[in-house]
Amino acid sequence: MKNEKEILKWFNNELSGKEIEDLKRSEDLQTLEKINHYASQFEAPEVDIRAALEAFEARNHSKKEPKIRTLNYKVFYRVAALLAIVSASAYLLFSNSITSFETSTAQTKSVTLPDHSEAILNSVSKLSFNEKKWAVKRDLTLEGEAFFRVRKGQAFTVSTASGTVKVLGTQFNVKRRKNYFEVTCYQGLVRVDYKQAAIKLPPGKTFRVINGTIEEVENFKAKKPSWLEQESSFDKIPLDQVIAELERQYDIKIKTEGVDTSKLFTGSFSHANKQIALQAVTIPLKLSYRVEGKTIIFYNYGVK
Amino acid sequence: MSDKKSKLCEENHFRDFYVTNVQSATNFAYYKCGDGQAALDLVQDAFAKIWENCSKIDFSKVKTYLFTSINNLFLNTVKHQKVVLRYAKDAPNLDRHNQSPDYLLEEEEFRLKLSNAVASLSDVQREVFLLNRIEGKKYREIAELLDISQKTVEKRMSGALQILKSQIENI
Repeated sequence: MKNEKEILKWFNNELSGKEIEDLKRSEDLQTLEKINHYASQFEAPEVDIRAALEAFEARNHSKKEPKIRTLNYKVFYRVAALLAIVSASAYLLFSNSITSFETSTAQTKSVTLPDHSEAILNSVSKLSFNEKKWAVKRDLTLEGEAFFRVRKGQAFTVSTASGTVKVLGTQFNVKRRKNYFEVTCYQGLVRVDYKQAAIKLPPGKTFRVINGTIEEVENFKAKKPSWLEQESSFDKIPLDQVIAELERQYDIKIKTEGVDTSKLFTGSFSHANKQIALQAVTIPLKLSYRVEGKTIIFYNYGVK
Repeated sequence: MSDKKSKLCEENHFRDFYVTNVQSATNFAYYKCGDGQAALDLVQDAFAKIWENCSKIDFSKVKTYLFTSINNLFLNTVKHQKVVLRYAKDAPNLDRHNQSPDYLLEEEEFRLKLSNAVASLSDVQREVFLLNRIEGKKYREIAELLDISQKTVEKRMSGALQILKSQIENI
């Protein structure tokens, strides 16, 4: 065969009629043409597909693998589910990672926040914030009392059960105790959202709520809260609040006998010496006290 | 891909695959062994093998797998027979208009010669030649089915044609 390539193409139906004619002229293809024609008339026995399929299925073949596969899938799904749960909970844990700081009785703690703002916690207080979201939102939750020195930046929000305090960059003190909410501004400008009202506090001003009543407070000149100097100062504060502060600064219980705890107290007590502190509170109010173990009892002076 | 693999394990899909391919697979087996019943048996065995291993077989390769299985089963089990193929009934002659008795006889003779010549081809040449001639498959398709290169198919085809030509012309 001379034109092997062309002949192969011809048998593969790749040649046009004209090309076949050309090929025939160049070589004697009589035999091949007959082969081409008659070979395609061979017949293979036709399969009765339906019968063949029935016969095939009648063999009742066992599939070996699928059972194992389903088992594998179960294990796989279990592992996948487990992984999903673990990763989801890990994600939730991390993304909502709340950092919190707590102080107990007679303890203060200085906390440096991620943007180098500073918070100083007074006794029995808790401060928490979301460290991950700090760059976007400077949100803090406060229970108790803390003094803040805020670096300039986006809004800095302190949420308490009584109200929220918003600032840009400033120094202020937030005190939230039972029936008591007080925000004191030392520098910059502080906005207090209390119930529906928004109060702006310039330096030297105090916003105070006692038992749900907003109190008038005189201006002050201090640069920072007195408690940072180991002293608690009070300006016309009901005695029960003063007692609560005493209990927080010293690990004691104070009870009163026949004392009007709504009496207002102006003055201060030291965090250093319990006796002096107790005297500093009782003497101006004409009270006496006695110690019974860990409990201290206040009573009116001169009463047995 | 695992999706399609599992499909093969589903009875409906397997049945589709069976129905689509059983004829061409049987033809292929028949070209090899020249016995219709033996060819079908081979094919049934090959399908059974695929069904058993349905989870392991890549769906895109399952046709090749089928033909390779038939080939292997054939080599293992069936003894070589002389493959004598029958012609389709009423197959037309090359020149349909020439009805002279001489011509008709001549063509009948040619058919017989061709039949004998095909029987003398080697297995691999015959399968390529018949897949091309009877089933009209392109070399590329044959190459895919048998999992060999197209070049090999062409070589076998060329060899087959040369043998057929020389055998027919020499007799």
